Amino acid sequence: MFKNYLKIAWRNLVKDKTFTLINVLGLSVAFGVAILLSMASFFDLGYNSFHENGNSIYQVYTEVQAPKGPEVTTSQPAPLAGALKAEVPGVENITRFLEQEALTIYNEKEINLNAVWLDSEFFEMFTFPVLKGNELKPLQEKNSVIVTENTAGKLFGSIEAVGQTINILIDGKEEPFTVSAVVGNHEDQNTLEFDIAIPFENHAGYTANMKTWNAQYHSVYMQLGPSVSVQQFEKNTQSFTDLHYKKNSENLKRDGAIPNKDGQFFQIGLLPLKDVHFTSFRKGYAEVSRVVPYLILGVAFLILFIACVNFINMSIAKSAQRLREIGMRKTLGAQKKQLFFQFWSESLFVFLVSIATGFILSFLLIDQFKTMFRTDISFNMLSSPYIIFGFLLVVFVITFLVGGYPALLLSRLGTIQSLKGKVETSGSNRVRNVLMVVQFGIAILLISGTLVLWGQVDYMRNKDLGFNKEQVLSFPIDGKKNPYDAVQLLREELAGNPNILRVSASDNNLGRGKDGSQSTSVWGFDYKGRGVRTHALVVDYDYLETLGLELVQGRSFDKNYSGDSQAVIINESMAKELGESDPLSASLPMGDSLRSPVIGVIKDYNFQDISKLIEPLTFFLDRESGLSYVFVKVAPVNMANSFDAVESAWKSIEPNAEFLGSFLDENIDNTFVREKKMATMITSGSIIAIALSCIGLFAMSLLIVAQRTKEIGVRKVLGASVSSITVLLTKEFLQLVLISFVISTPIAWWFLRKWLENYENKLELNIWFFAVAGLLAMSIAFLTVGSRTINAAMQNPVKSLRDE
Amino acid sequence: MLLQLNNIFKWVNSGGQRIFLLKDINLQVEEGEFISIMGPSGSGKSTLLNVIGMLDAFDEGEYNFLDESVHTLKEKHRANLYKEYIGFVFQSYHLLDELTVQENLEMPLLYKKYKGSERKAMVADMLDRFNIVGKKDLFPAQLSGGQQQLVGVARALIASPKLILADEPTGNLNSQQSEEIMELFKKLNQEDGVTIIQVTHSEKNAAYGSRILKLLDGRKV
Repeated sequence: MFKNYLKIAWRNLVKDKTFTLINVLGLSVAFGVAILLSMASFFDLGYNSFHENGNSIYQVYTEVQAPKGPEVTTSQPAPLAGALKAEVPGVENITRFLEQEALTIYNEKEINLNAVWLDSEFFEMFTFPVLKGNELKPLQEKNSVIVTENTAGKLFGSIEAVGQTINILIDGKEEPFTVSAVVGNHEDQNTLEFDIAIPFENHAGYTANMKTWNAQYHSVYMQLGPSVSVQQFEKNTQSFTDLHYKKNSENLKRDGAIPNKDGQFFQIGLLPLKDVHFTSFRKGYAEVSRVVPYLILGVAFLILFIACVNFINMSIAKSAQRLREIGMRKTLGAQKKQLFFQFWSESLFVFLVSIATGFILSFLLIDQFKTMFRTDISFNMLSSPYIIFGFLLVVFVITFLVGGYPALLLSRLGTIQSLKGKVETSGSNRVRNVLMVVQFGIAILLISGTLVLWGQVDYMRNKDLGFNKEQVLSFPIDGKKNPYDAVQLLREELAGNPNILRVSASDNNLGRGKDGSQSTSVWGFDYKGRGVRTHALVVDYDYLETLGLELVQGRSFDKNYSGDSQAVIINESMAKELGESDPLSASLPMGDSLRSPVIGVIKDYNFQDISKLIEPLTFFLDRESGLSYVFVKVAPVNMANSFDAVESAWKSIEPNAEFLGSFLDENIDNTFVREKKMATMITSGSIIAIALSCIGLFAMSLLIVAQRTKEIGVRKVLGASVSSITVLLTKEFLQLVLISFVISTPIAWWFLRKWLENYENKLELNIWFFAVAGLLAMSIAFLTVGSRTINAAMQNPVKSLRDE
Repeated sequence: MLLQLNNIFKWVNSGGQRIFLLKDINLQVEEGEFISIMGPSGSGKSTLLNVIGMLDAFDEGEYNFLDESVHTLKEKHRANLYKEYIGFVFQSYHLLDELTVQENLEMPLLYKKYKGSERKAMVADMLDRFNIVGKKDLFPAQLSGGQQQLVGVARALIASPKLILADEPTGNLNSQQSEEIMELFKKLNQEDGVTIIQVTHSEKNAAYGSRILKLLDGRKV
């Protein structure tokens, strides 16, 4: 019996090659894309899930009730971790965690490694198994370090890493360390990535900070004891913060801050490790949002849905051609159950072929997918039994619903009607129309999402940020030389080159450079009896001129004024914050007795990500602090040559350092990688959605035209023109698209407005985004259907009537 | 007695009026009869045939088939009954285009759960009996109308039914082909004792039967 089913299924499929191809193609593409997208989504959702103690590990954050509203920080002062463990019950293990590059020297090799500075308990809490060396207490000794397998390879090659001595540049001095252990590489799904782990006590400035509660510069992770709940622990810390943040709380109170409902100005909170990757503190509280991975999963689902709608619609429409078979089978004694099983197994057959093809497709496309969407998925992920079971379950449910619905409709038809080929189809037509409306609604939703997302990316890319981003390149200073000397040497080296206009430096980059790091440095002080906070930036001479920042008042730093090393330049927001009628008369308290005069005010510029508002900023020319990034302004001609010139000049100054230069516009682009990734994903999703919807529409128009051949013939005999028939046939489809437009536009509007709320600088949503999306869908639908219908309308009526 | 219809009524409601398709039909059919149903278009011939074949329901009356009262049976039992005892032959043959002659013949057996070897034997026997062994691997579209109807009859007969219902079996055939099919029916009826009820327009074909039933507007005349 089953063989017979297969036989007839196969022959039906072969007979209608177009439809089979359309179905299999559509479903395969949808399955392939859905497999890749859901892998990307699950990859993202699986961040930090490989730690065995993961469920009891938390990141410690502090909620501060600032005068302008609550703020959350994960930066903690150095004494906090030790004090927390000693004073608050429930801490099983606790570690400080600071990511800062370390120049590591081994024989002739000098490599900038991504170093983490932490306490020895780190390796008891987190699952980074030791492959070689001291397994129990690998970081017990102050001068021991742990490297990953990759790092060991980079530094020592084939030599045994454990026991080797390396030098690390700390605070300008080379300090010796011994490698005590090698751990595996954990580059995937890990927010705590590192090349080398160094005991925290070795970090530069530790001695100065070890007792200070005001210098907050690293994060803290802790493992909670089994008997303590998070709420309980957080409550227990209240007396702890009362004790250690007493002075700060009083200052906040004085500045008009409102305590939280427990009467606290400082509240320590615990953020589960599994949420760390998904948390933003932007709004003044820890907001855990897995929207992006779920959005990706949603797009995968929508694409599958569209392909399934195609399948259902085509199966129902095509069933007209199989009515006789159904009737005949019934007269020969087939039961409903048997017919259902027959048609369902046919669907199953198509689905299995499509899923297999989809798998092959995703296998072929995975590399492109990975580079395009910057994800590290691999098919190894699919080896877990849960995933396999889940996948099979999803496939079964889809095939059961999608294949089962048409099968159910067909098996319920009456014998006589189906033998006569006449079936009441208004019911299934309604289903068909609803499905098509949903299908096009999804397409319009995705198109308008694409338009708005790219609009926003474009807006951010083209927005005037207040500095020259096209002509300026920056690179990190990473060598053994004193940065001021290095910058001065670079200036001299490049002096003869007419295309190099200016050279300067600062302790922070603009945007995100090739080293991938971004940092903020905030300084708070009391000014005329109230707390003022400002971003702080240490700059070299010529910084304003190099970046083309505009002075509103006063002057720039000048080598001819010896007092300038104590002076500051502020931006307009800072001037407003100070509240002086003449900002140039102000001076900021730099210590107990020292005051720094404001010598200039610059126009506000976006020194942080564009998604943020411009905050107060102060420039220091403090020669004591370090510089981290060089900025070079080049002439707008031969920029590639100038770039090479800078590179070779830097190579001659720091021969062992890697040159990581990039133009600022690239750096700015790098700050909205997330947006671009999402936009690419939604764009590809909507292209596929539109393509699939069109395939479906095309197939439907073929079938409907075929079903209405007689009607077309009769109308033509009675004198209808080609255009009127085309309109008649096309109208129905266009109406459906119009309904989808009306339904999906408000939904799209709502979602996109919600999304844009995350940006301080955003484009205005207007009706055109949606109108264009609707028109696009409409015209694509018209083109798809129109070609078929015009063709049908032009047929000789005698021919179509003779077929009856 | 093979079957008995007592006071069968069938109607549809149209615009508040009841239109009778069958009105007070009484009919007894003995085993071995060959009945021809005649009447103008719309007189209810096919409807009556469908009622007898249990493909269509009726609104009033009693129908007994081999001592089973069909009107009280559930659909599943009814299906079992007709698939066991009744074979259908249609005007437009209703062979499945996707299946070969051999596979078309096999299909009723599939629904009766015969074993593979039995099915093969029965199909081979039927092909032999109808002299269409050479055509067993052809598809219906490759046969002439007469040959297709021959396959149709063979398919109806393959499970050895007691009753064959034929709805204008020669309606799509030329005179020579019709004669062959009618001769076949006569032979089946006389030599194998199969009961046949046919609907026909042609007096000549009707004459093959042992009894003629005339219908007009749903009534026996």
